[in-house]
Formats: sequence, C-alpha cells, structure tokens
Amino acid sequence: MSKIVDKELVKVNKELCARCGICIDRCPLDCLHPDKDGVPYMKYKDCWYCGVCEYECPFNAITIQLPYLVR
Amino acid sequence: MTINEMKADILIIGGGSAGCMAAIRAKEINPSLKVVVFEKGDFKRGGTIAMGMDALNIVSIPGGDSPEAYVETVGSTVDGILDQKPSLVMAQRSYELMRKLESWGARFRKDANGNYEMLKIHPKGKFCAGMDEPDLKVILAKKAESLGVEVVNRTIATSLLKSEHVVTGATGLNLRTGEFVVCSAKSTIITNGGCSRFMMPHSGHPFGTYDYPGNTGDGWAMAYRAGAKLTGFEFTSNAPLIKDIACPLLYITLTRGAHIINGLGQRIDNEGDIGVHAMLREFNEGRGPVLIKMDHLPEEKIKEIEEILFTTERPIQKRFFEQRGIDFRKQPIELFPTEYFLCGGHGSAGLVVDEHAATSVEGLYAAGDAASVPRQHLTGAFVFGEVAAEKAAARAVSLDWPCATQAQIAAERNRVFSPLSEEPSPLDLAEFEQKVRQTAGDYAVPPKNEWKLKNAIKWMTHFKEELKALKAADFHELAKILEIESIIYCIELSAIASNARKESRWGSYHYRSDYPEKNDAEWKKHIILQAGNIPGETLVSFQDIERSVL
Ligand SMILES: Cc1cc2nc3c(=O)[nH]c(=O)nc-3n(C[C@H](O)[C@H](O)[C@H](O)COP(=O)(O)OP(=O)(O)OC[C@H]3O[C@@H](n4cnc5c(N)ncnc54)[C@H](O)[C@@H]3O)c2cc1C
Ligand code: SF4
Ligand code: SF4
Repeated sequence: MSKIVDKELVKVNKELCARCGICIDRCPLDCLHPDKDGVPYMKYKDCWYCGVCEYECPFNAITIQLPYLVR
Repeated sequence: MTINEMKADILIIGGGSAGCMAAIRAKEINPSLKVVVFEKGDFKRGGTIAMGMDALNIVSIPGGDSPEAYVETVGSTVDGILDQKPSLVMAQRSYELMRKLESWGARFRKDANGNYEMLKIHPKGKFCAGMDEPDLKVILAKKAESLGVEVVNRTIATSLLKSEHVVTGATGLNLRTGEFVVCSAKSTIITNGGCSRFMMPHSGHPFGTYDYPGNTGDGWAMAYRAGAKLTGFEFTSNAPLIKDIACPLLYITLTRGAHIINGLGQRIDNEGDIGVHAMLREFNEGRGPVLIKMDHLPEEKIKEIEEILFTTERPIQKRFFEQRGIDFRKQPIELFPTEYFLCGGHGSAGLVVDEHAATSVEGLYAAGDAASVPRQHLTGAFVFGEVAAEKAAARAVSLDWPCATQAQIAAERNRVFSPLSEEPSPLDLAEFEQKVRQTAGDYAVPPKNEWKLKNAIKWMTHFKEELKALKAADFHELAKILEIESIIYCIELSAIASNARKESRWGSYHYRSDYPEKNDAEWKKHIILQAGNIPGETLVSFQDIERSVL
C-alpha cells in the first residue's frame, strides 16, 4: 500500500535547479510559479499529475507526487 | 490592466489537439493569413495530449475496414443518435491524416512486416491505430509556430464578439499578467474541449478528472451566450478506469491478452472483447469491482504493456502502481467508474456542427471535443481542426476586417474584472466549485428523474447568483471564477437536455428511473438547446437524424 511520502506535490532539488523556468512555462494548469529566488513551487494546487514539469526539466531537478487523495 | 487589441484572419480559441491542427492547416493553405491562438495553458503542453497519446482511435486504412463500416459501428455505440456525414468525412480523411502525422515524426506502432498495429475497440472493425508519441503536442506546436502562427499563451477566452448575427472574434484574459486581449477576427474557431470538471471525481481530488481539467466548457458557455445551438448535453458519460488515478489502460491490456473479471471472480470478457457498458453494468448491479488480470501473460507482454503505459499519455501511472505495490505479474488492477463528464470526443455533447465544422452561427466554427461529432476522439479533433481551418480560411479572404466597438469591449472588461478585489472573498473559490460539482453529482447525472433534474436547474440558478459575490485576489483566481461560471452553465444545460429526453438511452449514461425504457419511435432524434430572447431562458427543440450514408 501507499507509503506516506510527503504532502508536497512538487519537490524541487535546489542544488540541481538552474532556475530556468521551463517547468513553470510548460505546466498546462499554471500551478507552478517562481519563489523569491526563482525556484519553482506549487502556488496553485490545480495539478493533474500529468508529469510535464518533471519530463521537461533539463536537470532532473523536479519530482512530482500524486496528491494523497489519488495515491 | 492593459488592453491588447489584435486583429486576425482566423482566431482559434484553445490550442490543444484540434486548435494546433487548425492553426497549421490555415497556414498551409495560405501562409499570408494572420492566425492567432488563445491558449489558456501553454501551447506546447496544454490540453488533453500534454504527454502524447498511445493510439489514434479512428483510422480507416486502405484495404482495411471502410469509412462506411466505421459510420455503422460508431452509430451502434450511440444508439443511432448520429449525423452520419461528419463521421464519414472523418473516417475518409483519417488515413491521410495518420500519414501526415507520421511524416512530421509521430511514431505509430508496426508489426514485423511493417503493417500498422490496428486494434479492435469498436463493436465491429479494427479502426484503432497504436501510437507511441509522448511529444505529439510539442511536434504540433513547433510546426505551428514555425509557420508563423501567433500564440497568446495563458489567456482564457472570456466571450465571443458579435456584430449583428455574425461572430467577429473574442476577448481573453491573461491569467498571469491580467492583460485583457481583444481579438477581432474574420473567422473564429472554437477548439477548447469539453467540460471535464463537471462533477467531483470519486477520489475527491478536484483535478483528478479523467478528461483534461483545464477544459471547463468555456467555449460552450460562450457560444451559447452568442446564440449557437448545442446538442447531446444529456449524454453524460463516464468510463471504468484505474481506480483513484482515473487513467485509461483497458485496450492496451485487453489487446495483449488480459482477462477481465468481476468481484465474484467471474470472467466477463469474451476473448478480449468487452464493451464499456457491460463493465459499468457489473458495478451498477453490485458485482463490482471490475479487475484486469494479467498474471497469466508472458513476461514479454507485460513488459510491452509497461513500456506503453509508463512512457506516454499518463506516465505517472508507474509511480502509482509502485506506491500501491501492484506488479502486473502478480496483482490485478482495480477499475472504477469515473465521474460523469460532458465531451464531444468521448461522448456526444457539443456545439451543433455540420461536416464542414460550421456551427449554427455565421463566422463561428468548432472542432474537437467542443463539437458534437459523437465519439470522434483524437482523429476527429485533428480532421475537423483541418476542416474548420479550410472553411475559415476561405471565408476570411472574402471579408473586410471587423472591428469591435468600444462599448462591447468596455462591457466585457467590466464583467471580467469586477470580482478582482483586495477584500477577501465571502466564499472560498475551491469550496464553491466543490459544492457546484457535488450538486451536479447529486442531481444531474444518472440515475436521473424529473425531480432531480429540475432541482439541479434550481441549484444552478442559485449558484449563478452566488457567483456574483465571489472575489478574486489575483488573475489566476479571476480566471477560476470564469471557469466556475462555465461549469454552472454546462450543468444547467445538461439538466435541461436530460429533462427533455423522456426516455432512457445509452446504457447507464442517460438512465431515467421515471422513463426506464428506450423509445426509438419517439426519441430517435437530437435535442437542441439555444439561448432564448428572455435572459435566462433556454429554448429546447428537436432535430431529425441525418442518415445520408447508410
Ligand atoms: C486520458 C485520455 C486518453 C485518451 N486517449 C485517446 C486515445 O488513445 N486515442 C484517441 O483517439 N483519443 C484519445 N482521447 C481523446 C482525445 O485525446 C481528445 O478527444 C482530443 O485530444 C481532444 O482534442 P481537443 O483539441 O478538443 O481538446 P484539448 O486537446 O484538450 O484542447 C483544448 C485546449 O483548449 C484550452 N482551453 C480550454 N478553455 C479555454 C479557454 N476558455 N480559452 C482558451 N483556451 C482554452 C485548453 O487549455 C486546451 O489546451 C483520450 C482522452 C483522454 C482524456
Ligand atoms: S504535474 Fe503537470 S499539472 Fe502538475 S505541476 Fe507538473 S506540469 Fe503542472
Ligand atoms: S525546469 Fe528544472 S531547472 Fe528549470 S526551473 Fe524547473 S526545476 Fe528548475
């Protein structure tokens, strides 16, 4: 059964993230926005868990989680 | 708030599957045309095919099953409520379309002899071509951009512009910058999908819908307000998909030898053949769940299935199964009916269109899930995206530029921006949407009856009033209020159509406990909805089925 991992739906590895903004631009549902340092975070939880952000990140810096209700 | 006034020969509302194809086709026909796309999300990854598709559901291969055979088989899946010409045109153009996609780099699956992998997903004939292309959307978007299509991303279309009885473009709101975009257009094409956020999903996650949740019936609400006819709104459909995550996998597994069993352990498929309604019946009659069993399959088949499922369409499935500890070699996969939704791609709901993708209003075309070409899927989105562009382009060359009046612009701007406020909203937007959609689930979906449907209408009228009090803290929330308004329209129109069809039809999709029988003698016809002259009034009429093919 599902391991409770984290309630955060999007995890960004700040070491790897180049703040390029690609994931923010590609998210179809406008969930992701930059924080004050330019690192993406999930501002709106309208996530469809499509995986686009993770797939598009050139540096493998972003991992998505399924929402707990779906997991 | 800045205003950006634009002009276009062709304005496309929604840059998804159909919208991309329409944009490309318009430029192919006439590179000098100014083609503008409003896309709510991102043109490269927005829409249903964000992560590609694993099949093109309708292809009539030369030497294989004919376009006429397709019209027959699709007609049987919608109990004959189908105008035949659009489905015929789609099937006739489907092979050329597939070859075109292939020439652009989309990968279709082939056997060792180089023949296309064709799967049987219709009651008769093999019309489904296996595809393997996670980057399908990117391929199309890049193609469109290289041809000079102008894309206005993150912009939700809010209303159609009209001059007399003719549609002359649309307005939009950039949900990041708040820019108000006014695009006057000679021809306008609606390609913004169906209404996915109709009722709440079983999982409870509001965006955990099967269909793409960015599609909220905005185009239907807009076109309805502009006087266009809608049909098929009583076709509330759902599908048995993977429980909780609501991803499809049935045909990929069935065509590779999986078995379907019910909760009593009985096998219910007939050697890989089973219809959606037969599966839904197991739930409705208490023999659920329905399980896909694959523990008898050889390793190579399992690997093939995993390869398809975990790379294209909804690759997150891999993590889902891992977290649940499900290995296809050992455990079955549990299916569950999704929430009901409205869609002209999987179902019948949509704008009334003819085989030229023309709606009932001059200057306005529609394609894809927004248009009622029953069960057209991705093939229909692509083919009618092209058809709409061809007709829209021909119309555009013969016209002068229309011009939106300042009064029109000011009124719409006022409507769109009035909820923007620094004061907190008296109602939480997410909670409000949840209540609207829960009410749809309570009253507007099967099993239906007159009392429930009228109650749904009453509630939606009430929600329209409450909506006026909502406040938005930013432009994203402003767009959300517009979306919720469209959802309310869709639920109300669906309940009106469902109440008008006094019979039961399409398996469980339109089951009425007060009229439990199908009645072909009286009801083998379309139900048409149109806005009346009095505000809030919906006119219901009936239209005969066009049967010019069979
Ligand atoms: C999970 C899933 C699997 C499927 N699998 C298959 C398959 O294997 N084979 C097949 O043939 N078909 C399949 N289909 C069906 C097929 O994908 C759809 O019928 C097709 O993609 C619909 O195209 P569309 O252009 O109408 O909608 P979309 O591609 O969803 O595009 C609509 C676009 O409009 C935008 N939009 C929405 N509202 C507005 C607005 N107000 N203003 C501006 N833009 C807006 C959206 O952001 C979106 O980009 C599947 C569908 C789903 C949901
Ligand atoms: S999974 Fe999809 S919807 Fe969710 S944040 Fe990533 S790109 Fe956006
Ligand atoms: S795409 Fe990757 S590197 Fe770029 S901002 Fe997003 S997480 Fe950071």
